[in-house]
Amino acid sequence: MHMADALLSPAVGGTMLAVTAGLTAYSARKLKESPDESRIPLMGVLGAFIFAAQMINFSIPATGSSGHLGGGMILAILLGPYAAFLVLASVLVVQALFFADGGILALGCNIFNMAFFPCFVAYPFIYRKIVGDSPSRKKILLGAILSAVAGLQLGAFSVVLETVASGISELPFRTFLLLMQPIHLAIGIVEGIVTGAVVTFVWKARPEVLESAAQNTPLPGVSLRKVLAGLAVAAIFTGGALSWFASTYPDGLEWSMAKTAGTEELEAPAERVHTALAALQEKLAFLPDYGFRPSPAGKDSQPEVAAAGENEGKWPAVDPATTVSGLVGGALTLTLAGGLGILLRGAVSRRK
Amino acid sequence: MSHHFLEVRDLWVAYPDGTEALRGLSFRLEHGEAVGLVGANGAGKSTTLLALAGLVIPCRGSVNLGGTVLSKQTVGEIRRRIGFLFQDPDDQLFMPTVFDDVAFGPLNQGLTAEEVEERVRTALEQVGAGHLAERPAHRLSGGEKRSVAIATVLSMMPDVLIMDEPSASLDPRGRRLLIGLLKSFTHTRLVATHDLDLVLEVCPRTIVLSGGRVEADGETARIFQDRTLLERCGLEPPLCLQGMPR
Amino acid sequence: MPTSGCRLDENPGFFSRGGVDPRAKVFVTFAFLLVVTSFGKYEISRLTPLFLYPVSITAVSCVPVAKLLRRVLVALPFVLFVGLFNPLFDRQILFKAWGLSISGGWISFVSITFRSLLAVAAAVVLAMTTPFDRLCLGLEKMGVPRVLVTQLQFLYRYLSLLQEEAVRMVRAHALRARGNRPKIRVSSAASMIGFLLLRSLDRATRIYRSMLVRGFDGEVRLMKPLRFAWSRDGIFVAFWTLYFLTVRFVDVPGRLFGWVLGR
Ligand SMILES: Nc1ncnc2c1ncn2[C@@H]1O[C@H](COP(=O)(O)OP(=O)(O)O)[C@@H](O)[C@H]1O
Ligand SMILES: [Mg+2]
Repeated sequence: MHMADALLSPAVGGTMLAVTAGLTAYSARKLKESPDESRIPLMGVLGAFIFAAQMINFSIPATGSSGHLGGGMILAILLGPYAAFLVLASVLVVQALFFADGGILALGCNIFNMAFFPCFVAYPFIYRKIVGDSPSRKKILLGAILSAVAGLQLGAFSVVLETVASGISELPFRTFLLLMQPIHLAIGIVEGIVTGAVVTFVWKARPEVLESAAQNTPLPGVSLRKVLAGLAVAAIFTGGALSWFASTYPDGLEWSMAKTAGTEELEAPAERVHTALAALQEKLAFLPDYGFRPSPAGKDSQPEVAAAGENEGKWPAVDPATTVSGLVGGALTLTLAGGLGILLRGAVSRRK
Repeated sequence: MSHHFLEVRDLWVAYPDGTEALRGLSFRLEHGEAVGLVGANGAGKSTTLLALAGLVIPCRGSVNLGGTVLSKQTVGEIRRRIGFLFQDPDDQLFMPTVFDDVAFGPLNQGLTAEEVEERVRTALEQVGAGHLAERPAHRLSGGEKRSVAIATVLSMMPDVLIMDEPSASLDPRGRRLLIGLLKSFTHTRLVATHDLDLVLEVCPRTIVLSGGRVEADGETARIFQDRTLLERCGLEPPLCLQGMPR
Repeated sequence: MPTSGCRLDENPGFFSRGGVDPRAKVFVTFAFLLVVTSFGKYEISRLTPLFLYPVSITAVSCVPVAKLLRRVLVALPFVLFVGLFNPLFDRQILFKAWGLSISGGWISFVSITFRSLLAVAAAVVLAMTTPFDRLCLGLEKMGVPRVLVTQLQFLYRYLSLLQEEAVRMVRAHALRARGNRPKIRVSSAASMIGFLLLRSLDRATRIYRSMLVRGFDGEVRLMKPLRFAWSRDGIFVAFWTLYFLTVRFVDVPGRLFGWVLGR
């Protein structure tokens, strides 16, 4: 369920990073309100424990495949939502940095999908509601399965939304949804069974561990709901603003650059029509600009072919000539970059 | 420096599951003494050390360090004066680098940056680990980890050193270095171990624990000659006293 | 994805201690990723100049190329799997050349591959050229909450230790079970994980004790030797930001190509 940077748009990645930063700050503040010094090493070791537990690969009955623990629900049960959220965030950061599991820009999405849902939705509203203050084997198992399934379903749904909103993958919303949800239903059930069994194991061996976890972590009350509402509004607003921005100004970065550089006036929308027409004109001309045939002088503006194509829909999004020359140029650039690298390394090793 | 004795009187400790780990323990260490605390697995050595640092709460009895009786109010002060070396250096080295680990104690004491640096440098040099300062602890060898763990204790300038199985999981060379180091210290030292050879070299006096009680307390050489006592307490006489060539 | 036995190596090289400030590197990494992802989905050639960033950092620091490539390739399969749907759904022929018709799906597929290579390389380069403790210091100075930074440090510290415990456990299970590659059943996996968890809880207690006896009062203090040197870190940031912006707004490969043709 780890999302990679390659399938992400900056708007989606940035929005989710902002949302996650908010949740992190919120969790950190909540922990400060009920300080418990022993929690610091406990959280750290449990983060490492998740990695260790993931090395135990078990066979999934009736499928012939194997899987490993995700661990989100176990952490929420042992540590409560706030500490568990931070531990999961740290796990995902380390996975992104050292194991190439999920991208760095995608960290916001990944933390949201894999930490927010188990900690702030599945744990308080499902697991705690079922298990309550008097745990039993059955309640723990049922609570673990239902909450793991719910957490993963929500996470998977969120992955689909984020991917489709990014618009890099061509997977249609429905197809992607039909791929993701059933798979994660199966994964969720297995995750829930293992989580339930592990929690029962600990509960039998050291009942005090679970009891203290339950006591030390007040259920998120009204304040959480407020925060969630705030986050939702913020996310919708930022996401909406960013996508409006992206659709109005196909190339947001370029637009803002032009704005700050003062080369483009405020009547940008009118300007856009003009550029689109210019782009169209360029496309119809054989090999424009830097193509095979020299283009008329003074045509320095870069046709925003890809962006314009997306808007118009009917026209091919990429200009063949641009592509061919682009490919050769790209290959050339790659060779150059590689050559520079070899030169640099040579220079560095000679200096030593 | 003040004359700081360490006195334990009628100490009883029970764990939450009901295990009575210490059952009326009493002994007294004088200033600068090096004492071995020996006993079979489960005899109560680790529990004794934990109780000295106020890490487990005794149900009865008292710990007295140089006139200060261990209590909720004094536990901070007592911990400042006791240097505790844990059995597993991986529990003691939890910071990102060796430097941070050795600086952890002094920083908590509220020293200035210069003082902390000075402490760290001195402590690391004392154990011969000055070159390891910038290394992350999880990359060190067993012997290096042990040396650095000792430095984390020394940097706090304690009066009393208490150590739990310091020679466990060390190779022969690491063990030799450790013994040399322990001998060079002038602190009051209490070494819990079942490495009797180490005790023989480092500690003139030995306390034998069995079932949470003091079974014997006296001159190391004499105690280690008493084979029936050692056997009764689940211990084996040190190799060099078994007539083995060394 | 199984994280089998990976060691978290950071290479002491050109960019390590006393090298470029971790904050500068984090900033440049994010700038890089934003530029990479900001290109349209059919863009291929204009992504290529961005390879200069990971390539030159790899060259200048002492990162072993083989190791970097291995890490980058590990991440590829999943992205390629999702990317392969693009040729399936986007069959609009975008151009014909030399008797070959190429659909938009294939072009965006190649673009996704390039994005993936770039993004993963940037992450690996950041991780491999920055000692983790310095990275954490940098993150804290950039406003990441203290708890999370401390958490990252502890997690990193005990990662390999607990992984080794797990490996020993799996090996012991394999020795007891029959068959040369015995499968672990869910029930025995659960008790292994439970056991591992109990050991981890014990470890946490012991660490906490060893913190307490050294005066721990709830705050993990660090001496912070991090200094942002404008003459080095400022130039690093300025150079790469400028380069990324240039690449974003100027079609470098296109110009290069035109120039080669003698225009
Ligand atoms: N956390 C604990 N909970 C319950 N019993 C314990 C715990 N730690 C130690 N014990 C028990 O207390 C006794 C003394 O243990 P310990 O002090 O560790 O002995 P030693 O260090 O001499 O091997 C043993 O019977 C041991 O099983
Ligand atoms: Mg012991």
